[in-house]
Amino acid sequence: MSTDQRRPDTGNAAGRGESGPAAPPMGFRQALAEIRKGILVLWWSFFDWLAVISWKALLLVAFLGLVLGGFLGRPGPVLVLIIVSLIIKVVARGKRRAELTASEATRRAESEQLERAVLEARMAALQAQIEPHFLFNTLASIDQLILSDPPRASRMQQSLIRYLRSALPQMREPGRPALGQQVALSVAFLDIMGMRMEGRLQSVVNVPDGLKSAGFPSMMLQTLVENAIKHGLEPKPEGGRIEIGAEVVDGQLAVHVQDTGIGFMPKGEVGVGLANVRERLQALYGGRAELIISVPPAGGTCATIKVPYEVASTSAGT
Amino acid sequence: MRPSPSPTAVVADDERLMREQIVGRLKEAWPELAIVGEAGNGAEAIALVQSQEPDIVFLDIRMPGMDGLEAARALAGRVHIVFITAHDEYAIRAFEHGAVDYLLKPADPERLAVTCERLRARLAQAPDPMTDLLAQLSQRLGAGGVAPREYLRWVQASVGASIRMIPTGDILFFRAEDKYTRVQTAGFEALIRKPIKELIDELDPKEFWQIHRATVVRVDAIGEVSRNLRGNQVVHLKGRSEKLEVSRTFNHLFRQM
Repeated sequence: MSTDQRRPDTGNAAGRGESGPAAPPMGFRQALAEIRKGILVLWWSFFDWLAVISWKALLLVAFLGLVLGGFLGRPGPVLVLIIVSLIIKVVARGKRRAELTASEATRRAESEQLERAVLEARMAALQAQIEPHFLFNTLASIDQLILSDPPRASRMQQSLIRYLRSALPQMREPGRPALGQQVALSVAFLDIMGMRMEGRLQSVVNVPDGLKSAGFPSMMLQTLVENAIKHGLEPKPEGGRIEIGAEVVDGQLAVHVQDTGIGFMPKGEVGVGLANVRERLQALYGGRAELIISVPPAGGTCATIKVPYEVASTSAGT
Repeated sequence: MRPSPSPTAVVADDERLMREQIVGRLKEAWPELAIVGEAGNGAEAIALVQSQEPDIVFLDIRMPGMDGLEAARALAGRVHIVFITAHDEYAIRAFEHGAVDYLLKPADPERLAVTCERLRARLAQAPDPMTDLLAQLSQRLGAGGVAPREYLRWVQASVGASIRMIPTGDILFFRAEDKYTRVQTAGFEALIRKPIKELIDELDPKEFWQIHRATVVRVDAIGEVSRNLRGNQVVHLKGRSEKLEVSRTFNHLFRQM
């Protein structure tokens, strides 16, 4: 189409060139460029036409061309044209396939991006929720301490504030949090539980300072700690000990929570908390992270999360 | 009913602060009520009720060892029971229809006064056996009672020198090996100190199928079933090279579905 429109234009320019030899060479060169552009467009539309047309139709056209060439008594150039067309057809198909692959790849990239967005939204929902039971029991304890021991009431309330600041989803900082923040959150939680359970709970934290800036997904450590208390130590009348530890082994950051509780119940429900941790690890790291539940020789339960060791993206040094 | 001049009560809660709070507020709301004992778990509560024979027992629902519901089951009909809870929507709804009362932590003095009023009125009657209520509560809280059959959700197995808990969803298949059973997951092999015969009974038959005297496979891990040269069915696992033979006894599992 566009080439057809341009043809009279080029004719004009050629005419001008003939009638006025004094015409500036710039005009002539422009005309030449126009012609070249026109041929190029013509060539590419021919190329695309060859790419789209089916082999059957092409062969039919070639046959008709040959017949017509025979009529005109000049089958030679037509034959050459047909052979060139067939070669171009083969090349054009490759080009078209590449184009299709490229557009397919773009589409897939878009859908992958969408999938990731959906996954992120789902993961936000999967993150550990604050247990109402914990909240109300703690508030009830503070209520009692206000009467019997105001300084301790104040300490417990401060721990609760520290805990809520990092545990409430709306208040969490975006980006991958640092292990140090996650440990601080769990320490606040353990302070509260320690005051409530009194002699029944001892807690130890063995996390080297050097690892506190390492990246670690939010609320996962807390899920392990809550599990250890709820399923391991709270059901045990005499209580026990909980230990949080972290180390780097073979480029992996291994964070564990070990308790001396009643031990893992093989027939119990697969805790929602643990199932969520597994699902989130899979979504965040693929196969490069894992959750391992093991039984220490002395009894109780040890839960370990292994993730690739890297420095947190938003390393707010708290 | 004992013709005692002043009523007596036992308070059971695993947290000392909470016991302190309830005892303190009961003193204000009902000065004549004598607290004759405090318990930290269900078993202690039962022992105290047996030794002290109080009129009323205040029982926290969540307690270590034996919880409040189990203790209530043992004590129902012998003593007036008031449950204590911090937050249990379902439980509270159940109480609304029940004969007994409940207390929400932290005990609100006005609400506690209502509870004491009801108790005073009820002390003249024999304690309610609470049969229906307890059944309902156990069901809602999923505690005790005749629970539906529970299957293994985790398998305890040795991997090298350590003992691991493997979620059943990670397991591809089990293979008998003398007195032991070998567990295969996508990532590793582990050993269970239990013969496969015993293990089968504990596995959910919807999740695992026995396909051979010595083989149990997780249904979701099965990719396809073909026949070998001898005409036996062979199970292929998704994304794995292992082939597991199906013995004739179990052929029916894969008959044209």
